Amino acid sequence: MTFRFAPEVRGTFGLKIRRLKAVAALCRVGVVFYLAMLPLRADAAELQRWTAGAQPILSLPNTAGADVALEAARGHVVLVHFFATWCEPCREELPALNRLAARAGGSVNVLAIAVADADQRVQRFFATTPVDFPVLLDRDRAVAKAWQVATLPTTFVLDAGLRPRFVVETDYAWDSLDPKELTGTSAINAGASTSIKDASNR
Amino acid sequence: MHRREFLKAGVALTFAAELPTLARADVNFDPTPGTWRNFQIVTRLEIAKPAGVSQAWIPLPSVNQKDWIKSSGSQWMTNGKATPARDPHYGAEMLHVAWAASEEALVVEVTSRIATQDRAVDLTMPGKPAIDLAAADRKFNTAGTELIPVDGIVKQTSDKITAGKKIEIEKVHAIYEWIVDNTFRDAKVRGCGIGDIASMLKTGNLGGKCADLNALFVGLVRAAGIPARDVYGIRVAPSKFGFKALGTGSEVITKAQHCRAEVFLTGYGWVATDPADVRKVVLEEPPTNLAIDDPKVAAARKTLFGAWEGNWLAYNFAHDLVLPGSNGPKLAFLMYPQGETGNMRLDCLDADNFKYTIKSKELTTA
Repeated sequence: MTFRFAPEVRGTFGLKIRRLKAVAALCRVGVVFYLAMLPLRADAAELQRWTAGAQPILSLPNTAGADVALEAARGHVVLVHFFATWCEPCREELPALNRLAARAGGSVNVLAIAVADADQRVQRFFATTPVDFPVLLDRDRAVAKAWQVATLPTTFVLDAGLRPRFVVETDYAWDSLDPKELTGTSAINAGASTSIKDASNR
Repeated sequence: MHRREFLKAGVALTFAAELPTLARADVNFDPTPGTWRNFQIVTRLEIAKPAGVSQAWIPLPSVNQKDWIKSSGSQWMTNGKATPARDPHYGAEMLHVAWAASEEALVVEVTSRIATQDRAVDLTMPGKPAIDLAAADRKFNTAGTELIPVDGIVKQTSDKITAGKKIEIEKVHAIYEWIVDNTFRDAKVRGCGIGDIASMLKTGNLGGKCADLNALFVGLVRAAGIPARDVYGIRVAPSKFGFKALGTGSEVITKAQHCRAEVFLTGYGWVATDPADVRKVVLEEPPTNLAIDDPKVAAARKTLFGAWEGNWLAYNFAHDLVLPGSNGPKLAFLMYPQGETGNMRLDCLDADNFKYTIKSKELTTA
């Protein structure tokens, strides 16, 4: 790192410069320590084990009007993600979910469900923030209520048999998660012959 | 202005600048019934990009309370098929307009007239026990709605706030104070908010706007077994008491929607309250981000428990409305014009693209 000093300082106060370099070195240590701590901070939200049993069958229209059923994802780990476009943390979390799904290379599917959001608002949002997973419309909150979603965002992690294994009732740092942690602990990612990939939200 | 008056004003301004707290301690926020004001509100709505069969629903003023608001009816012009409709549960009125898919320039313009005045009740005076609410109305106004449950965390929170309070007014005032002390107006929230009060309490995120904060107030009061209701409407004029945050800035009121709250206190009747506007004064009243003990905030906090200014139109009290002719979801409340085209619900908070405008004009005669 190079410091630039004003002319009145440069070359005249060698001791001060050495002190400044020492301070800079301490700052570098501090920055490294801070960056090292970031994942811990981001991981403040935790995936909690879900113990309340199975969730109801889920089938909702996507933003293009076609019905999409959760059942179509059987055989994959699925993140069922409830959100709303008016929810600020949700808006930041959706791209992270998209990156997670990309890193997982097909072993983790995401099903995003917009809760009580205006159709036009959802379409506009994804026109500027495109994702590669289906976005479904729970217009009257019926599915959110049936799944006992009390807050947005909420994400359920389902195993390959579509049994809920984990839940997180806030935004989660998906970028810090190795997809193998999901597929290794909660799913049997075998025998998948169908996909819920849907290009309508691209 | 004469030179002497100008100099006097200059002295006053200097004094105020030097001692702002002292100068503003004399905040006059004293809504007083007695002067009815008449307003004409024109809502013009177009479906900017029709994509098949289209519909719109425009809220009509449908609150008639002899002591503070009277609706003089509405007229409309449209190239669609217009049908007045009324919600069967709350009596909320709206104009339902339908257009055929072949129609290209979809437009409706609704002109409504209302009269309103300030509200105020002296809660320090003994009430009249005869003023009570019928059992059915009490039950209706203490029940939960889709987004305002009165059990679970809402009931638990209400019980904590009102613990030790024996009478209705003490309980309601404790909840009002709790809202002012614990919630905040969040400028980032779109529109007036959602009003999902159980979620607010569960997450501990008590930020929002009027549909959040006043809904939370209503839910906590209802959970205490005391009738309360949200009143959904729109500001129609500047505040005559000089509160910039509590009035309109121009005749265009397209984004001036605001909901208030009423509580029913035995002996007093329906009482005006608006804790959300106290938080609005905190955040938005110039110079903005006022301290909770700022004289303007203190004045709003004191006044808005029992009074409000008559510069606002009440549309309705409704929750969980089914829009006639729509296959779409229920509305948590009807405060904005609504629209659908090709079975797609339009974004009612995006007035510029929807699109609609609302204008208000004060009339000198009724």
